Formats: sequence, C-alpha cells, structure tokens
Amino acid sequence: MTLIHVPRPDLRSAMDPTRPVNALLKAQIRHLHDAENNLPLRHQTDIYINAIKTEGEAAEYIRQVTTAIHEAHEAAAALRKRGIAITAAAEKPARKTKSAGSGKKKNNKKNGPKT
Amino acid sequence: MPPGLDNLKHIVVLMMENRSFDHMLGSLTAVDPRIDGITAQLSNPDTTGALVNPQPLAQFQGQLDPDPDHHFLAVDLQIFGGDTSTSRVANMQGFIKSYFNQQEDVGHSQKIMYYFAQNQLPVLTTLALEFAVFNRWFASIPGPTICNRAFAHYGTSFGQVDMDILYVNEPFKDIYDRLINANPKHTAKLYYYDTTSSTMEVANLLQNEPQLFGTYDQFLNDCSSGNLPDYSFIEPNYNDHDTDTGEAVASDQHPDHNIQAGELFIASVYNAIKQNASLWQSTALLVVYDEHGGIYDHVVPPACTPDQFTASANDTGTGQPFAFDRLGVRVPAILISPWIPKGSVVDGRIFDHASIPATITKFFLGDYSPRSPRETTADVFIEPNLAPIDPTRNLLSLAAMRTDCPDFDV
Repeated sequence: MTLIHVPRPDLRSAMDPTRPVNALLKAQIRHLHDAENNLPLRHQTDIYINAIKTEGEAAEYIRQVTTAIHEAHEAAAALRKRGIAITAAAEKPARKTKSAGSGKKKNNKKNGPKT
Repeated sequence: MPPGLDNLKHIVVLMMENRSFDHMLGSLTAVDPRIDGITAQLSNPDTTGALVNPQPLAQFQGQLDPDPDHHFLAVDLQIFGGDTSTSRVANMQGFIKSYFNQQEDVGHSQKIMYYFAQNQLPVLTTLALEFAVFNRWFASIPGPTICNRAFAHYGTSFGQVDMDILYVNEPFKDIYDRLINANPKHTAKLYYYDTTSSTMEVANLLQNEPQLFGTYDQFLNDCSSGNLPDYSFIEPNYNDHDTDTGEAVASDQHPDHNIQAGELFIASVYNAIKQNASLWQSTALLVVYDEHGGIYDHVVPPACTPDQFTASANDTGTGQPFAFDRLGVRVPAILISPWIPKGSVVDGRIFDHASIPATITKFFLGDYSPRSPRETTADVFIEPNLAPIDPTRNLLSLAAMRTDCPDFDV
C-alpha cells in the first residue's frame, strides 16, 4: 500500500479573512439574506449585507443566519410537538417563544458591518 | 451480479469549485495518453494575435486574481472565441481574450492557460491514476456556480443561467426529497463544512429542510461510526474563518483560494471513508468540480438534450436565448472505489452534473418520475444493480476488492 505525502499550505499566506468577497460568497450572502427575510423577526440579524466587504465579514454573517435558520426550525418543531399552529406562533414576540421551547440561547455576537 | 455493485450501499459526492480538467489533470496525458489532457498542439490567441500554449506554471494561490469571469456571456466568448454569428462553431479559442477583458493586461491574461504539474497535486492526480477518471465530464451549463450546482441536486436549474436565487419549480424534486420520501425510505444528507461556511443550497433546501444538513465534522463521525447515509453530498469550506479549534482555510479551490488546502480536504474525505473497512468496501466516492471557473480547457462542450426551460436573451447577455442544449466546459471528475480497476479511463461517454441525481435515483430508487429532460437523458456513472449488467459500462467491475489502494498522510 502506498502512502502519499500531502503538503500543507502555508497558513500565514493562505489564510486571509480580509480578502475581498468573491462573486460566489456574494451570491451566498444574497441567498441567505432572502432566507433571513422569511424568518420570524426575532431570528433576523441586523447586519446590512451591502456593507459586507471581506471574507471575514461574510463568514460572520453566514454563521449568524445559518444558525438562525436552524434555531427557527427547532423552535417551530417544538411548537408543532405541542400542537400549536406554526403560523400563529411565528407572530409571537421573542420572549414568549423562548419560554415556549425555542431551546438554545441565541448567540448575538455580531462582528459584521451594521447600519 | 458484479460484487462491487452487490456490496455498494453508499454513494458520496464531493463537489469542489471552479477548475477545468486541463488545469488540474491535463498533465496526466504525459503519464497515460488515454487521458485527454494537455498536448503540444494546443493554444489560444492573446489579444495581440500571438498564440499561447498551455504551460505547467500554475500556482497554488495568488495567480488568478481577479477571479476569472465565468458568467454566461464570458463563457460564450471562451467557447466560441468571440464569434457571434449564427453560423459560428465552438473552438475554445477565447479564454485569453476573456481574461484580458478584466484587466487589459496581456501578460496576466495568458495565465489563464497555466496548468498544474502532476507533482503539485499529489491527491487529485493519484486518485485519477488509481481509480476511474472521466475524459468527458462537463459542467451542466456554460455558466457560473449556483446554476451548475442546481443540476447536481435537481437535475435542472429551472431555466437559470446565473447566480441569482433559484426557486424550485415543483414538478422536479431534489434528490434528497426523493430518497427520504421513498418507499422503502432511504437516507440522504448534505454536509456543508461548518455553520460559518454553510451551504450554497440556501434558498430551497436549507431554509426548508434543515434536517437534511450536517457539518463536515458530522460526516467524519458518521464515517467512523458506520452511520453514513445512502447518499451524501459534501461541500468544501468556501471562506477563510476562525473556528473554536483554530483557523479554517477555504478548501473549495475557488480562485484565489489555496489549492493545497483543497488537496488536503479531498484526501481527508477519502481517508474518512477508507479508514472504516466496512464503509470502504461498500462506498463509491465521486470527486467532481462544479464548473471550470473561466480557466482554459481544450475540449468543445457537446450539444445535449434541451431542458424544458429557456433562459431569455436578457438573462444570457448574449442577445440570444439559451435552451440548455449545450453543456458547459469540461471539469475534473474521478470515481473512487476499491472495486474499480486501477488506471480506469472513462472515454466515449458524456456526463454532466445531471448525471448525479440520475445515478442516485436509478441506483437507489429505480424508475422515478417526473425528472427533467436533461436528467432523464443523462448518463449514469454507476449502473443500477439489476440484471443484465453491461460489463462495458460497469466501472465497479473487479471480481475481488483491491487491497493496494493508496493512503494519504493527512
């Protein structure tokens, strides 16, 4: 059996969170923003996506919205288990929903650009 | 039945980003002439009219900046060389012209012809030489990422040729939906790298069916614990970011991300499967790139069955509508399994990303409808395990499993 050596990239030059956002990440941000707009207000971020310029900023926005999508679905699933109409639940304020079983505490760390 | 097909329980697809076949695997023609890569006769004119040959001068990072244009209009120029007449013939002569348009720097534009030497890509080239490399796997559309990745999930892009949000047209369900709602049920998962990189399948899948998703760490755990789903689709890390355990360098190989980080990632996926002996003998792994990223390839994309959608002249930017009746530029694709003979070269057959849901559907579900015209007519890379098996098409053809497959020191 042959063992193939795989060279590691030089992290000092390969890693650059200040690199300008490429077209692919811009598209992903737009898609996530669209998804975010469909979330209940309490799960939405306050990040202004047009101000995202670097990969690091993009990464932070992507993390927050992906987490929020999962949390919103977990909250909806918890309500569904209790037999509560999802559409009605979506209109409830955040405080009530949390007590209704949304579970996880939302990480509100926001390093991305804001308005 | 061939034992490779009898044993096959899991299919894994790893889709990387934006590199052409010649750029990544073109060097292998010198090793195995059956592989249709770089030869001395190939060239493209630069904007001075000088012919420029492909050269093995590609660098891991810092060379293809700005990101080469690969939207529909630019790819049209790359494929047709700038001829917009109705009688035009595809000639793959417009790559340097296209890259020149971005910086108007003749010297820089020639770098679009550079390719990697074999020893620069020990993972990808080893896999290509050890297992089955496809001479004719094309992007589904002569355009960018999102619409091409859609073909891997849905067998169509629903008429889209760009990066806009794609909304599913109901008749055609994604491959995950088909599998998990089948009777009997199958299992499927789309593994994105981590929450900070996330998935490119946002608009339709992530916001509607988050239970289908897992992270790359979960993939590694599922491999070691023997809980890999029937079908897995893996996305690389699309951005540089910090994690709880350190720095995560983008591994998608999208220009200008580091190529070696992608090599490590591919090796990591391979090792995760191979290190579980039971999984290794029952899994086929496809490594494929979503599109060519504007980088030179010499093979003319063939015509194909039109989809039932048409992109408008406004959407294509060429002044002409597009009926999805031509494939995109050729990309690297390698099928890996210990049941595949060493040095297999798949030639004389045409594949594109619609071949992914076509293969998964036929293998796990058999007949299924409705599917898009493009998917219905796409070739499959794994034969359905139903008699009679055509031995000339079955790639997992060995009577006994190989024990000499390579390992990577990741």
